[in-house]
Amino acid sequence: MINVPGLGIVKGMALTLRKFFEPKATIKYPEVRLDVPHKFRGRLQLLYDEYGTLKCETCFQCAQACPIECIDMGGIDTKGRYHIHWGAPETYGERREESALRRSGRPVPDQAYAHFDPIHPDGLVAILERFDFDPKNMLEILDATQAEYGHLPVAALKLISQRTGAWYAMIYGTATYYRHLRFEPPGSEPIAAASADDRASRETRFLAGLDASLAGSRRGTSGRGTSGPATKPSAGAARA
Amino acid sequence: MTTILRTPKDWPAILLPTAVTAAATGADPLDIDAARARGAFVGLRRTLHDLGATGTIATIAASGLRGRGGAGYPTAEKWRAAAGTPATHRYVVANGYGADPSSATDRTLLESNPYAVLEGAVIAAAAIGATEVIVAVRSDATDAIHAVETALDRMIAAKLAGDDVLGSGRVVEVTIRPVQGAYMLGEETVLLKAIEGKRGQPEQRPPHPTERGLFGKPTVVQNVQTLAAIPWILANGAEAFAAIGSKTSPGTILVSVRAPGGAGVAEVPTGTSLRDIVALAGRNATKDLKALLVGGPSGGILPAELADTAYEFDSLRSAGAHVGSGSIVAADKRACVVDLARLLTRFCADEACGKTIPCRIGLRRVSEIADRVATGLPRPTDVQLLADLSTDIVGSALCDHERLATLPFVSGMRYFRSELDEHILRSSCPAGVCRPIAVAAGAAH
Repeated sequence: MINVPGLGIVKGMALTLRKFFEPKATIKYPEVRLDVPHKFRGRLQLLYDEYGTLKCETCFQCAQACPIECIDMGGIDTKGRYHIHWGAPETYGERREESALRRSGRPVPDQAYAHFDPIHPDGLVAILERFDFDPKNMLEILDATQAEYGHLPVAALKLISQRTGAWYAMIYGTATYYRHLRFEPPGSEPIAAASADDRASRETRFLAGLDASLAGSRRGTSGRGTSGPATKPSAGAARA
Repeated sequence: MTTILRTPKDWPAILLPTAVTAAATGADPLDIDAARARGAFVGLRRTLHDLGATGTIATIAASGLRGRGGAGYPTAEKWRAAAGTPATHRYVVANGYGADPSSATDRTLLESNPYAVLEGAVIAAAAIGATEVIVAVRSDATDAIHAVETALDRMIAAKLAGDDVLGSGRVVEVTIRPVQGAYMLGEETVLLKAIEGKRGQPEQRPPHPTERGLFGKPTVVQNVQTLAAIPWILANGAEAFAAIGSKTSPGTILVSVRAPGGAGVAEVPTGTSLRDIVALAGRNATKDLKALLVGGPSGGILPAELADTAYEFDSLRSAGAHVGSGSIVAADKRACVVDLARLLTRFCADEACGKTIPCRIGLRRVSEIADRVATGLPRPTDVQLLADLSTDIVGSALCDHERLATLPFVSGMRYFRSELDEHILRSSCPAGVCRPIAVAAGAAH
């Protein structure tokens, strides 16, 4: 085709005209609404409160409810503990890029995505046998696992999930709830507060605080430390 | 080992009949023959051989026994509901967790009278047709666990539990379950979740556990104190029990007292005045009394003028406190109510399980308001915000922790308004505990 002056503009105008009479894709939202699949819930997003603290408690209820197990989370929960790992480890890197959760801007420590350490499974299998591979005994299984390995290694949780048939999210949700269960070997927690945050010391702290309050000791000296600052490092930092 | 406080001689001793003497004479609470001599297992025999299930429940109903777990629900109604729900399997759960760190009532009872608890649990199982009893104890209460386990072994050996209880052909399997790891485990549905091996969060009620409880089966969850009273009722008759203590909630109850002069656990008849209970802790316990924290970390803070309130479910409720964990903490003139409320609210907020959002976020906000008031930097809207928040938290509550967690601050505001105003308006703490920063009005923002 040779250059005909004005041909370009004719082509352009033809496209414009064609589009002009085509049906439109835009709708008058919110008066008109598109038909979306009935299970569609929009984009996942984590919200912050007015102090800049993440509202998510990492309680895993959403993950447990998700029928296709697409929800994944990690990071530091509000009890100041460090944990992560859900889903196949090789997908962590991709998920970090892709997951809508990640795009919420939540800072996620990188170690979280490291491949987990292997464990020797014999001890765990013996424990599972003792409890009949029954998820109803999950707390006892977790207690015994922690007694065996000193903490709850990810590999152990994976194996428990595989052998008992309980969802990893369920096991994980149970394990994160009880304060005596830990995910890192004692003394190696990345967050210093986590080790001090176990059940017994919380109660002792409460009682010490109660005694101090009853005795009317001035806060700012001993009272401050015993009644405890925020246990949530992120919240404390955001407010400071 | 907790101190057991000496009570006046004419006060009935149902739950801890041996405790005080045992400490003096060195008698072993685990001696099953001595327990028999005191009248143990008479109630169980009556249930299995004379009364039957309906007769037992009717006797408990006539005695007016109410649950000692804090809410004061009539025990017989619970049993009737569980027995009336059709099911292949039923459970009895004895709640001896005793979540409140300042109260040792459950643990003391399990240590000094394990036979009464276990017998009561077996009776409950027989009355509702359950075949399994689970006794939940705190993992760190090793003495209590040891006591219950030894007592259970001896009962099984004497055919008082296990297969074929007392030759009746009835099977009642009793298991001891040590649990640990969360304050919330004291709540009945949370405890059931923990026994099921799940995350400990409360369930929506109804359906109540009596219809759908442990593993979806009808379950009676009772505090160990409630169960320990049952053998006595069956052995001595419902009228004798109903004659003790207050009319609306008869019987005795264990109280954990913490006062400037001393601390310990005591068995008191219901309806005893708070002042009399605190006085058990020592001669100076009621001196300079300023406030009473009744009901544990989520308890109400009552002023000294209300020290004559009867220790009993209904009158405490109307005063703005509750039986709760059975703890009474006496504060004298040195303590600041705002500081105390702040400490308690922080504890309640930290222990919230996170299931209900108003509880999880709201309690944190209440705790922050308390912090602001205590540091002398309140916002002008804080009082209104606190009132709104506590209404919302209570209104959305799934469990009693949430329903009561704002109580320390709200009751403190109700009875000690002038002290709170000192903090808010004048940035000063009358007790000299808080260190409010003196700022000109409005300079804070």
